[in-house]
Amino acid sequence: MPVSSQLLRPVGGAFITFTFIVALVINLLPWQAEVANFTPDFVALFIVYWTLNQPRRVGVGVAFMLGVLMDVGDGNVLGQHAFAYAVIAYLTLSRQRLLNVFPFWQQALVTLGMLWLSQALMVIIRLLLGASFVGWGYFAGSVLAAIIWTPLSNLLLMYQRKPKSEAL
Amino acid sequence: MQATQPAFFRQGPKPLTRLLIFSVISLAMIVGDAHFKMLDRVREKVSVVLYPLQWLATEPFEIARTTTQFFSRQAELLAENRRLNDAQLVAQAQAMKMKALEAENLRLRQLDERQASFGSPSQLVEILYNGRDPFTARLIVDRGERAGIAPGQAVIDTVGVVGQIIRIQPLTSEVRMITDRDQMVPVMVERNQLRTVIYGMGRNQPLEVRNMAPNVDIKEGDRLVTSGIDGIYPAGLAVARVLRIDRSASSAFARIVCAPLADVDQHRFLLVLNTARVLPPYPVTPTPTPDKKKRGR
Repeated sequence: MPVSSQLLRPVGGAFITFTFIVALVINLLPWQAEVANFTPDFVALFIVYWTLNQPRRVGVGVAFMLGVLMDVGDGNVLGQHAFAYAVIAYLTLSRQRLLNVFPFWQQALVTLGMLWLSQALMVIIRLLLGASFVGWGYFAGSVLAAIIWTPLSNLLLMYQRKPKSEAL
Repeated sequence: MQATQPAFFRQGPKPLTRLLIFSVISLAMIVGDAHFKMLDRVREKVSVVLYPLQWLATEPFEIARTTTQFFSRQAELLAENRRLNDAQLVAQAQAMKMKALEAENLRLRQLDERQASFGSPSQLVEILYNGRDPFTARLIVDRGERAGIAPGQAVIDTVGVVGQIIRIQPLTSEVRMITDRDQMVPVMVERNQLRTVIYGMGRNQPLEVRNMAPNVDIKEGDRLVTSGIDGIYPAGLAVARVLRIDRSASSAFARIVCAPLADVDQHRFLLVLNTARVLPPYPVTPTPTPDKKKRGR
C-alpha cells in the first residue's frame, strides 16, 4: 500500500486463502467465449497484490501452487501457469520494497506489466509447444485488471483498516 | 545485504533461488506433460482438490438456470404444446392426403392393367359428381361425346361392372349404375353357367335376381358375371355376389339378393369399355324387348 499514516491490522492467513479461493472460483467461472478474453486473470492479480503487500506470506512457492491449480482447472499444459506465476511473483518480490510505496496508479501500471508478462510467458510456452497464436485480444483482460487495481486494493485494505473491536 | 539481516527479516531461501527451483520444476512439468504425458496422475490428484472450487464456480449458474427454467417452463411448455399440435395437424392432413393419393394411384394402376387386358379400346374417366336425383343411381363423368363416348357403353372399375353410359353431352356423360332401379344386367352364375338377369333396386340398395324358381341352383356366395349375350357387356366381368336366398313356399319365385362387387360408391376413376361389336342382323322383325335401357324408373 502507498505510504500512509494509518496503522493497519495484520492480515490473517485465512483471509489470504479466502481471497485466493475467490480468485480461483472467478477464474473457473464458465465465462462466455466472447467475454472470456476480457476477464482479467484474478489469480495472477491476487498473486501480485499479496506478494506486494505480504511478501513474507505469499511468494514464489504459493504462486507456483496456484499456477498448478489453474493449469489443472483450465486443462492447460501442466506447469504453464505455474511457471508464469512463479516468474511474476519473483519479479514483484524482488522490487517489493520499491513498489510497495508507489501510489495506486503506478502500482496498477506495474501490475499491468506483470500480467502481460505472465500472459506473454504462457503464450511463448504454448507457441513453443506448437499451438498457434491466440490473437491480441488475449491480452485485453490485463488492462481491465490494471483498471480495477485501485478499487480492489482499497477494498482489500478496508478489511485491514477496520478497528479491531468491530472485527471481533 | 541479506546476509546481514536480523533474524526477523530472514525469509529462508532467496527469492531468486526459489524462482529458479520452481521454474525448473514447472518447465520440467511442461515438458513432461506436453511431450511425455507423464503427469496425468498428478493432474487427477490436483483436480480432486480443485473440484469443490469448480463446483462453487459453476453451481450458482446451474441453480439460476434451473430456477429460471422452472418458472419459464410452464409458458414454454404451453407454447411448445400448441406448436406441436399445429405441426401434428398439418402432418396428419398431409398424411391423409398422401394416403388418398396412394390409394388413388393404386386404383389407377389397377385400371391401367385392366385396360391393357381388354383387347378393345377403353377410356379412363373421372367421376365428376353423383347425380343429384336421390331416386336414381347416376354418376356424371368427365368424358363425353368429344372423347368418343357413346351411349350404351359399359363402365367398369377394377373389380367389376359399375354401370352403363346412358346419356352423353359434349364434355360429360351420364352413367347409370347397376344399382339403379330396374337397371338390368344379363349375368350368369360363374359356378354353373346358369344364365339370368340381375336387376337394380335403387341407390344404396342390393341387387336382385328375379323370376327364378325356388329350387334354382344358386347358392349364397355365388359370383355372378356378365354373360355377354346382350352385346353390351363383354362376357366374364364380375357383377355381384349372392348375399342370401329366400326360398319361401308362399312365393312363386325365389328371392335372391345380391351385392354388387364393384365399389360403385367408392372411387373416382372408372373405365369405359368401347365394345361396339358388329352384331349380325337380327333375324326377325325386331321387337324392343331386349333393349338394355329401360327409360322408366
